[in-house]
Amino acid sequence: MLMVKAENLYFSYTGTEPFVLKGIDLKIHPGEYVSIVGENGCGKSTLVRLILRFLKPTSGQILNHADRIGYVPQRSDFSNAGFPLTVHEMLDSYRRLLKIKDRKVPEMVLLRVGMSAFSNSLIGNLSGGQVQKVLIARALIGSPDLLILDEPSTGVDMKSQKQIYGFLKRINRQNRITIISVEHNLDAAVANSTLIYHLVNGRGHLCSPEQYADEYLSKNRIR
Amino acid sequence: MLRYGFMQNALFVSACISILCPCIGIFLVLRRYSMIGDTLSHASLAGVALGLLFDQNPILGAFIFTSACGALIEFLRSYFKKYTDLVLTIVLALSVGTAITIISSGKLHASADSFLFGSVLTVTPFDMVTVAVLSAASVLVLVFLYHPMLYIAFDEEAARVAGVKVRLINYIFSILVASAISVSIRIVGVMVLSSMIALPVATALQLRKGFRLTLLFSILFSVIDIMTGLFASYYLNVAPGGFTALVSVAVLLLVLLIRKVFQSLRDSHAQDGAAEAH
Repeated sequence: MLMVKAENLYFSYTGTEPFVLKGIDLKIHPGEYVSIVGENGCGKSTLVRLILRFLKPTSGQILNHADRIGYVPQRSDFSNAGFPLTVHEMLDSYRRLLKIKDRKVPEMVLLRVGMSAFSNSLIGNLSGGQVQKVLIARALIGSPDLLILDEPSTGVDMKSQKQIYGFLKRINRQNRITIISVEHNLDAAVANSTLIYHLVNGRGHLCSPEQYADEYLSKNRIR
Repeated sequence: MLRYGFMQNALFVSACISILCPCIGIFLVLRRYSMIGDTLSHASLAGVALGLLFDQNPILGAFIFTSACGALIEFLRSYFKKYTDLVLTIVLALSVGTAITIISSGKLHASADSFLFGSVLTVTPFDMVTVAVLSAASVLVLVFLYHPMLYIAFDEEAARVAGVKVRLINYIFSILVASAISVSIRIVGVMVLSSMIALPVATALQLRKGFRLTLLFSILFSVIDIMTGLFASYYLNVAPGGFTALVSVAVLLLVLLIRKVFQSLRDSHAQDGAAEAH
C-alpha cells in the first residue's frame, strides 16, 4: 500500500484561482525519503499541510495511510521560544497526548538524538540546532511510520545540520521510516533523499536525486 | 475582622478566585489572548445586568452570558481569521451596549455598581454556592484537559497531529474563562478583573521556570495579591478590586527588581571569576 497518494490535486486558499497547487499527482511508497524542493511560494509547505490534513483540497484528493505521523514544524513558524516549558515537560506532555503509558519514552527519544543532557533545560535557552533536535525527538514519540519535516536545516549551524541529516538518513534506511521533508538545502536533499519532488509554479514531478542534480543543480551552479 | 460573616464569605470567594484565575490566566497569557480576558470581563457586566433585570442570580447571569460571548468569539474567529482584534471589538460592542442599555433603563431590581468596582459586603450565601460549584467544576476540567490545553498553547499544529480536538477544547476553554470571570466579579469587579487573570502569571513568568512551576508560582502570587488586597481594603475602607490590582502591580515590580539585582550580582561574580582565571 502507498504511504501517500495525491490525485489531480488542486488547492487555492480562496477556493478560486489563483491555485497554489495545480493537478498534483504523487505516489510515495513506504520507506522512501522524499525531499520536496522548489522556489519560495511554489506550494511546498501547502502540500505538506495537505498531507497532514491541516488543509482540505479544493479539488482532487490526497490520502495518507500512515498509522502515526511525526511532524517537525518549520522553526521560523515555531515562535514559542519564550514559552515556560522544559524539554522534559514538552516531550512528556506529548507522550500523554498520544496515550503512551511508558514514562521513559521522553528520555529514550532524547537519547536517540543526543540531547539527554538537556532534559531539564528550558526550550527558550536552547540554540537553533538543539531546538530542532528536540522537535525531531518529539516527532519520534510513538514510533511514527511517517515523519514530515518542514525545512529542518533553517537557522541551524553546519555541525548540527550534519548530525540531523545523518540521523534522518539512518532512521530512514535502518528503521524504514518514510520521510517527507520540505527542503531549501538542496545539497542535503540530493545527498540524503531516495526521491526528490520538484515543484514549479504549483506543478511537480518526481525524480531521482542524481537526475535532479544533473538537470537543475549543475545548471544553476554554472550560471 | 474575620469574626464578621461578610468577611468570612469574602475570604472564601477570594480563595476560589486566587486559585482559578491564574489557572485560566496562564493559558490566556501564553496564547497571547489576554485581551480576550478583558473583553469577556466587560461582557460579564451585561450578564450581571440581565440577571438583575430578570430577578435572577447575577453571578449565574454573568456565567451564562460570558460563556455565550466566549463561544461567539471562537465562532467569529473562523470568519475573521486575519482580523481577530475586530472580533473582540464586535463582542465588546454587543456586551457593553447591552449592559449600558439595561442599566440606564432604570428597570433593574438592584444596583450593578458593586460589580463594577468589587465589594466584600455583597457576597450572599447563594453566591458562595455558585462560586464553589463553578470553581470546583472548572479546576476538575482543567486537570482533565491539562496536557491538551498546554499543547494548544505551546504548539497548536503538533496538538492537531497528536489528535487533539483543538476546536472543541477552545470552546470548552471559553466556558472556563467565563467561569473564572463570574467567580471573580463579586470581589474584584469588572473594571480590574482582567488584571487578576494576567498579572500573577506575568509575575511568575519573570522567574523563568518550566510550565508546572510557573503555574504554581502564578497561584502563589495570586493568593498574595488577592489576600493582601482583601485585608488591606477592609482596613483602608476602599473597594477590594482596585486595591488588589495595585498590589498585583507592586508585586510584579518587586519581582522584576529582585530579578534585576540577582542578575547584576551573578554578572559581577562571573566577571570576578574571569578576572581571577586571567
